[in-house]
Amino acid sequence: MEDKIAPHVEELNRALENIDEATIRLELTKLLKFKVSMGEAKKTIMKKYSPRSSSFVLIKDIEPGLEGIEILARIINIEEKIINSQGEKKTIFSGTMGDDTGICSFTSWDDMFLDPDDVVRIKNAYTKLWNNRPELYFGKRSTLEKMPDEQLPAIKEISHTNIKKLKDIVAADVLAGSDVLIVEMYHRDVSLKGNDLTIIEGVIADETGKLPFTSWKKFDGIDIGTFIHFEGAPIRIFRGLPSINFDENTHVEIIDNPISLPFSLESANQVPEHMPMSEVIGSNGIFDVLVRGNIVSIRPGSGIIERCPICNRVTQKSNCRAHGNVECIQDMRIKAILDDGTGSIHIMLNCEISEAIYGKNLYEGEKMARDSISKDVVFDDMRNVLTGKYIAVRGNSSKNEFGVSIVAKSAWYPDDDLSVRIDSMLASL
Amino acid sequence: MVEREMAHRVFAREFNDSRFQLQSVSIHEDNSHVASVHSPNFLVTPSGAKSNRVFVVGVVTEVENMADLKSGAKELLRARISDPTGSFTVYAGNYQPEALVFLSNVEVPSYVMVVGKVRSYEPEAGEVFVSIRPEEIHYADESLRNRWIVDTAELTLERVDFLKKALDSGLTGKILLDHLKSLGVPLHLVEGICLSLDYYHTDLAYIEQLRANVKESLLSIKEDGSCGSDEDHDHESLVLEVMGSIAESGSNSISGSVEYAAIITEASSRGMSAAQVDQIVRILLSKGHIYEPRAGVFKVIH
Repeated sequence: MEDKIAPHVEELNRALENIDEATIRLELTKLLKFKVSMGEAKKTIMKKYSPRSSSFVLIKDIEPGLEGIEILARIINIEEKIINSQGEKKTIFSGTMGDDTGICSFTSWDDMFLDPDDVVRIKNAYTKLWNNRPELYFGKRSTLEKMPDEQLPAIKEISHTNIKKLKDIVAADVLAGSDVLIVEMYHRDVSLKGNDLTIIEGVIADETGKLPFTSWKKFDGIDIGTFIHFEGAPIRIFRGLPSINFDENTHVEIIDNPISLPFSLESANQVPEHMPMSEVIGSNGIFDVLVRGNIVSIRPGSGIIERCPICNRVTQKSNCRAHGNVECIQDMRIKAILDDGTGSIHIMLNCEISEAIYGKNLYEGEKMARDSISKDVVFDDMRNVLTGKYIAVRGNSSKNEFGVSIVAKSAWYPDDDLSVRIDSMLASL
Repeated sequence: MVEREMAHRVFAREFNDSRFQLQSVSIHEDNSHVASVHSPNFLVTPSGAKSNRVFVVGVVTEVENMADLKSGAKELLRARISDPTGSFTVYAGNYQPEALVFLSNVEVPSYVMVVGKVRSYEPEAGEVFVSIRPEEIHYADESLRNRWIVDTAELTLERVDFLKKALDSGLTGKILLDHLKSLGVPLHLVEGICLSLDYYHTDLAYIEQLRANVKESLLSIKEDGSCGSDEDHDHESLVLEVMGSIAESGSNSISGSVEYAAIITEASSRGMSAAQVDQIVRILLSKGHIYEPRAGVFKVIH
């Protein structure tokens, strides 16, 4: 008898790490004495001692489209939001929660009287993809139970474990931390819910990439060129591109001795290596990416365009969508498709960059348009001059329903590198 | 999400060897596969480029009016665009008005670039004619052409390498697909390579031939471009000299014009290969030292 149940005890012991072997053996023997079958007995013990039911999901395993799941998590932050749902105003609660495996954002359709730092067990919750992330939802139909505090590590520990390189920060990270360098920084006045406040925006970098950041709190002694270590910064996703937020819960400290870091102000400011378009397309969004390819098509909407002086929208026949008939401002732009044989990407060039690539300035373009009967004369000329041209474009990539696009921060004709490439290929043949 | 089909880079030889047309199917609720009008059709090339659209830079060597030959079509032009391995066939009809205008006025020969949809026509089983229906066709220049050759060479070699790995693995079907993915083969190539192996049963000999084509193409631009510009210069003066002497001798010329064949014959006797002469003639044309009053006949500009 003893020998027979030993492997089962061992198995249960492995599954239930916190329960000692003697207890399991005792429970199992008791059940078997009542002639409960081994399978049923093991199930009973699992149910009794396991903190997790079969529908239990760890935060790290959350994916979109789960239903009726059970979660044990600590509320990290929660805020009240008023939304318009089918014409009715409704108050919802959303925030982030985490366990020792990860963090996710959640929305509660009803007031569950939750506060930050609460440890809760939620049954019958579901998940959906929201803002490019799996998000947990629960409401009246879910059951919610407050649990003893010691069930999960403190907020600090939960939110401070996720230290990553910038390249590796993805939509699944709600909070992240890293060692970075501030490469761009400026202050901006915004009005949030009627309050005027000054926020800091900019760009941080490490040896793997760059990301934009927003700080909602003051940055003492931090400026462009400062190396910082941060933890617990909320990650937002906009068009697939992560951005880092520093809020009151984010821990930020200046790195006094940045020599040991694998990047410097110099290396972080270098032009990135160009990336095959297949890789850019495979990613949801990349900050500061460089691609090269042939212009395979100049899209309608390129050439001389008119903008509303108030909102900067493109106007049709001097009519702005928002401001009616307006005195328009002339502008020039290029919308094109760039293709490198591994994929194609929409690119948008503003007036200044268009002038450099097209070789004619706005004034010349306007003159061409005035002298011609056709208002598409600049567009047609651009098609003739630019289609096929090989250019390099640097900017941020983002993904939407029409594919991947890059709004150019700069664009240029790359230097001729052909003979080097020919030689290296011939050497391999 | 409707993503734009990217423009593949394929040499003419491989393109014209392609036989495998892939009709897109959409799977309906009842699990029946129905050819969909809205989903794109593909031509899978032997090295596994699953192409719906191609980008080509080459030399337009011939434009022919097909309207007279075919009843029905009011306007139809067929152009040949050559690269170092062969030539692409481009058809422009009423539905490509811009290409039609361009091709009816184009100077032959000149560098052009084409972005176009891949068309295939199968008059009878096993006989497939492939062509390009242009979306964009514009003048290009020598540097763009050279860049296209280098890009196409790199991308072809990449495909060929993966194809060889697939062949070496000895796997097929779904297992091969997963194997290639695990090797880190870019997703846009995995499917094409599996399909192509399945259809063409490509062997190592063909792979070697593709690699040889790439090598030839690269050598063709290495000669006239990046290295030995002195040599080029010598060749240019030699060809000009040859043309001058033929024109003077009068035997092969009418009022100072020189036939292409005569240049080749004469220059070959002075140690230049036909391909070299062809390159040099093109260079001289583009530099404006000579011009071509009629197809195949040249005159030196003094």
